[in-house]
Amino acid sequence: MPQGDYIDLHRKRYGYRPDHFERKRKKEARLVHKRSEIAQKALGIKGKMFAKKRYAEKALMKKTLMMHEESSTRRKVDDDVHEGSIPAYLLDRDTTTRAKILNNTIKQKRKEKAGKWEVPLPKVRPVAEDEMFKILRSGKRKTKQWKRMVTKATFVGPGFTRKPPKYERFIRPSGLRFTKSHVTHPELKATFNLEIIGVKKNPNGQMYTSLGVLTKGTIIEVNVSELGLVTPAGKVVWGKYAQVTNNPENDGCVNAVLLV
Amino acid sequence: MVQYNFKKMTVVPNGKDFIDIILSRTQRQTPTVVHKGYAISRLRQFYMRKVKYTQQNFHEKLSTIIDEFPRLDDIHPFYGDLLHVLYNKDHFKLALGQINSARTLIGKISKDYVKLLKYGNSLYRCKCLKVAALGRMCTVIKRIGPSLAYLEQIRQHMARLPSIDPNTRTVLICGYPNVGKSSFINKITRADVDVQPYAFTTKSLFVGHTDYKYLRYQVIDTPGILDRPFEDRNIIEMCSITALAHLRAAVLFFLDISGSCGYNIAQQASLFHSIKSLFMNKPLIIVCNKTDLQPLEGISEEDKKLVAEMKNEAMKTVIGQGGEATNDEGVLLTMSTLTEEGVISVKNAACERLLNQRVELKMKSKKINECLNRFHVALPKQRDSKERPPCIPQAVLEAKSKQAAEKEKRSTERDLENENGGAGVYSSSLKKHYILANDEWKEDVMPEILDGYNVCDFVDPDIFHRLKELEREEGLRHEEQGDDDFEMDALKLTPEEQGMLSEIRKKRSKFIQQHRIKKSTAESRPIVPRKFDKDREFTTKRMGRQLTKLGIDPTMAINRARSRSVSRGRKRERSVDGGDTDGGDAMDMDVDAPNKKQRMLSRSHSRSRSRPPIEVVPGEGFKDSSQKAKAIKKARKSNMMRNKNARRGEADRVIPTLKPKHLFSGKRSIGKTQRR
Repeated sequence: MPQGDYIDLHRKRYGYRPDHFERKRKKEARLVHKRSEIAQKALGIKGKMFAKKRYAEKALMKKTLMMHEESSTRRKVDDDVHEGSIPAYLLDRDTTTRAKILNNTIKQKRKEKAGKWEVPLPKVRPVAEDEMFKILRSGKRKTKQWKRMVTKATFVGPGFTRKPPKYERFIRPSGLRFTKSHVTHPELKATFNLEIIGVKKNPNGQMYTSLGVLTKGTIIEVNVSELGLVTPAGKVVWGKYAQVTNNPENDGCVNAVLLV
Repeated sequence: MVQYNFKKMTVVPNGKDFIDIILSRTQRQTPTVVHKGYAISRLRQFYMRKVKYTQQNFHEKLSTIIDEFPRLDDIHPFYGDLLHVLYNKDHFKLALGQINSARTLIGKISKDYVKLLKYGNSLYRCKCLKVAALGRMCTVIKRIGPSLAYLEQIRQHMARLPSIDPNTRTVLICGYPNVGKSSFINKITRADVDVQPYAFTTKSLFVGHTDYKYLRYQVIDTPGILDRPFEDRNIIEMCSITALAHLRAAVLFFLDISGSCGYNIAQQASLFHSIKSLFMNKPLIIVCNKTDLQPLEGISEEDKKLVAEMKNEAMKTVIGQGGEATNDEGVLLTMSTLTEEGVISVKNAACERLLNQRVELKMKSKKINECLNRFHVALPKQRDSKERPPCIPQAVLEAKSKQAAEKEKRSTERDLENENGGAGVYSSSLKKHYILANDEWKEDVMPEILDGYNVCDFVDPDIFHRLKELEREEGLRHEEQGDDDFEMDALKLTPEEQGMLSEIRKKRSKFIQQHRIKKSTAESRPIVPRKFDKDREFTTKRMGRQLTKLGIDPTMAINRARSRSVSRGRKRERSVDGGDTDGGDAMDMDVDAPNKKQRMLSRSHSRSRSRPPIEVVPGEGFKDSSQKAKAIKKARKSNMMRNKNARRGEADRVIPTLKPKHLFSGKRSIGKTQRR
């Protein structure tokens, strides 16, 4: 054995203490009481963390015990229900079938006409203007209040240049500008860091859409070229819509879900 | 200049612990109280401080890890190669690189979130940002978890590597497995290397130190090398190759001429020739080991030729260092580690050659010229031609010669044993050197019992005191045991008594019914065996009442019960027939002991446990009385008493405050507080 393994070397040459194993066994048995003492005495954040950890351990222990007892316990068995079986009180009814199976494209065209789209977050909390903007005072006596600073996350395009400060009414601070978002594909369950191309619609109003404000529920267009999607015609898809699912100003990042 | 003290590296925590440490430190060391009524700048500053503090701590800890691990390119090539052989340089560098990238990532996260915090306009928003920032930093650390675990393992292994100084005088031992390298190093140094009959006993480098001419030499034992192409070598052999390649040392190539290692001389010679390129510029000595099994002259002709070839190669190194071509004595040496002949001469030869080489090199180097003028050996100038030898008094010379003679003449017990037939036949009398008042007593047999007393009992002057202590302990232990079971004598009953007995039985059945009622409420009461009698229902008075109801005189029964009970004080006269105590072993001379014990027993139940401080006799391995008292206290606490009274234990739910103030006080802002 290597020269530095002092403990193992000593054990090999002289063996263990006469009471070594008994002491070890007893020490391990005492650990249970020690743990209980800690559990009762730990206060504050430490206590909470310990309690959480211990609860998880206990839940796991219970599960394994249940698993071991599974073979010996008896349980009621529910028969699987056949597909297409209906309860007794519906037995005598005639069901009508839809004769025409609509084409997918026709459905989409109808939806487009109606202006309604299926989105993951159909309803969002309305954002008031005083929550969205902060009033900046300007002028020599600081009495003019026509400037507004956006307090939420925004997206400005790559070719964006500010208007001359004297005329700029809405200020979008550069610290709150985002260019990338974390987009989740709902079927693949994978998240990608994709570039934002533009803001399509903000549900709070079209002023916010034109400003490029990103709040929860905003529809954005993202650059999906790295996903490698292809249309049935053979063209490469490089832009897709996604809906923002978090409050970017609170989390520091834009999380979105891809609309497939 | 890197110190090769790998033992001083700080422990690398694993991912989870790392996160816990840093987060709990942030929670402790930064202010924790904030209210939403504070000024917004104060709120922002509060949370920004937390984010920055966490980032600084992460940065600090990760930097210490990166700095303390050695850079394989900056250390001596011997260590660089050794670490590469043991832990794979690429993997090592990758792990450290990951740590570095984690450090920069955390810095970036902190910068971004501090920038965002400047725009926070409410407590909730700032808090969310801080949570997001810390969460992201912790995710980064979680991702490098495997690297941290790997680095910790490496650190542990590195700390146990033998401390080899690559620059000092070193003697390296190499050869086939099982030729006797480890035995050699055991003989000349204090390194206790494992020597076993199987090959590859030594699996790593071992270091020992030895002295020669007032200088310290490092002796390095390597694992055996097999004759294989370079690519096929395993890690253990690569360790030896690394040592050979990078250390400027004197090399001792070991040859087993008896062939008992399992390889003949031809194989060993071929190994020699395959690694002879590593012996360049190193003083090489070929050592023939195990000459007790096979002397060098006795080997066959081809083997002799092979040995001669090897010797020629070794001579080349001598010539290369500028030594004389005819001095071949220091090149091929024989020895046997078992009989220890030739071992010292091999060591001396190796050390001498190494020393000469190093001195020569130093003389040739440029640096020495600067210091050379500072060396000056001063010798006294000869005044006249008179001889002045060192003066040693006659007495000293005589004493020296006598000592030498004595050493040879003194016979040890072992010699005596060998003369009289060996280890099994003769056993030396251990009593030969006893110091006694009368020499005739030396061979006497010591009695065990004298005048009815045990001789051993009078060995210690404190023995009475210790006995008292022991008995006190016994008494304590006794009171924890319960009473013995009550034995009823089988009595013959007259019909009258039988009638009474049946009445008693009726009463008993009534009790049973009562008990059944109690059982139904048992869930809310602790089930305790009857003998503990928590409610103290079973008193002698009650028994007396019931017996009188039956028409029996209760006094005898009461007396009997009292005599057997422990809770009453016993008189001294009764102590002699105390049959249920363990006082039967009491020594006759200490008459007080049983009484004291019973008094101890009696006191325990009726009084609360206030004892006079126990007088403690030092001894039994304790430094003094106070230490022993502490140990006794600890011992009492460490034995967990069984909870036989069914009292609340540590696993039962505890309500720390039965009436918390916030639930029992205060007005309601709206509504009544008729009930809480």
